Amino acid sequence: MRIAAVADIHFGTESGGTYRRHLEGIEHRADVLLIAGDLTRVGEPDEAQALADELRGAPIPVVGVLGNHDFHAERAKEVVDILEHAGIRILEGETFVLEKGGRRLAIAGVKGFGGGFAGACGSDFGEPEMKSFIRHTHEHAERLGAALDSARADYRIALMHYAPVPETLHGERLEIYPFLGSYLLAEAVDQTGADLALHGHAHAGSERGTTPGGVPVRNVALPVIGRPYKIYCFGEDEGCEDDDTLTGLVRASGTAAG
Amino acid sequence: MSEQPDAYTAAHVHEALAQDPRVGELGIGVEISDGLVTLQGVVPTEERRGAIEDVVRELLPEHEIRNRVSVEELREAGEPEVIA
Repeated sequence: MRIAAVADIHFGTESGGTYRRHLEGIEHRADVLLIAGDLTRVGEPDEAQALADELRGAPIPVVGVLGNHDFHAERAKEVVDILEHAGIRILEGETFVLEKGGRRLAIAGVKGFGGGFAGACGSDFGEPEMKSFIRHTHEHAERLGAALDSARADYRIALMHYAPVPETLHGERLEIYPFLGSYLLAEAVDQTGADLALHGHAHAGSERGTTPGGVPVRNVALPVIGRPYKIYCFGEDEGCEDDDTLTGLVRASGTAAG
Repeated sequence: MSEQPDAYTAAHVHEALAQDPRVGELGIGVEISDGLVTLQGVVPTEERRGAIEDVVRELLPEHEIRNRVSVEELREAGEPEVIA
């Protein structure tokens, strides 16, 4: 099974027409499009509507999580309602399941939050504001773990906005790492298991990382990948080639497509 | 903006670019030195690039502005990565 993934598209009311053209033919290359947060510029409903209009009727399912930008206007519920009305599924502690060819792919999604990484992180201690900050991350990590744990699938993906590991932040200033992610998210992934963890948020970060438990982590923020999306394919025997290439291979071999 | 060390001015500009409803960007680099403001980063649209410069010009009308913010240019999607 193949997934396309991106994050941080920061869609504004002036962004119409800038992204949909990149989805031309995506149904031949991927089975689902994942967006790891910061779907809108600042979370205004008219920005969500512009994005909804841009993605409505996309040839493959579109599934996302919100990011910090999507909360700035304090109208996140309206943003979610508008996007879901257009057929875009937004996850917050839920799982989206895709079935194809007898295989199941489950995507568990949360926004996540910050706090930093093992050895240099905040604690649930001190002022109410500090405790609130760290407890917010704990809540999101727990929701992610619960969603992954309950998913019965051949492949499981953890989708979040904030980073679960510091490796994919390399390029960002060290001083802001605590605002970019938390080890609690990686811990949830490693405790419950996933085949791939995707995130955004760190525009100046690096693409590749791994959780301490060995799960591949990919930063798919649009400024990092420099492409409208990246494609990830599960299993070498799963038909990772795009449909055109696969069709070409079948024709060349003279065997019937199955 | 009243006379103050450039470090504080840069921080206030960075905050304004986050808070101003025309911009809402967190990742713009702001350097200020000797009356020159240099802005760096990548944004999705030309309108947002222009809005960044407008906000900075309103805040610092006496400064020269060097707007090195660029607009995203996307390559093709590329080959898939196989997750073993």
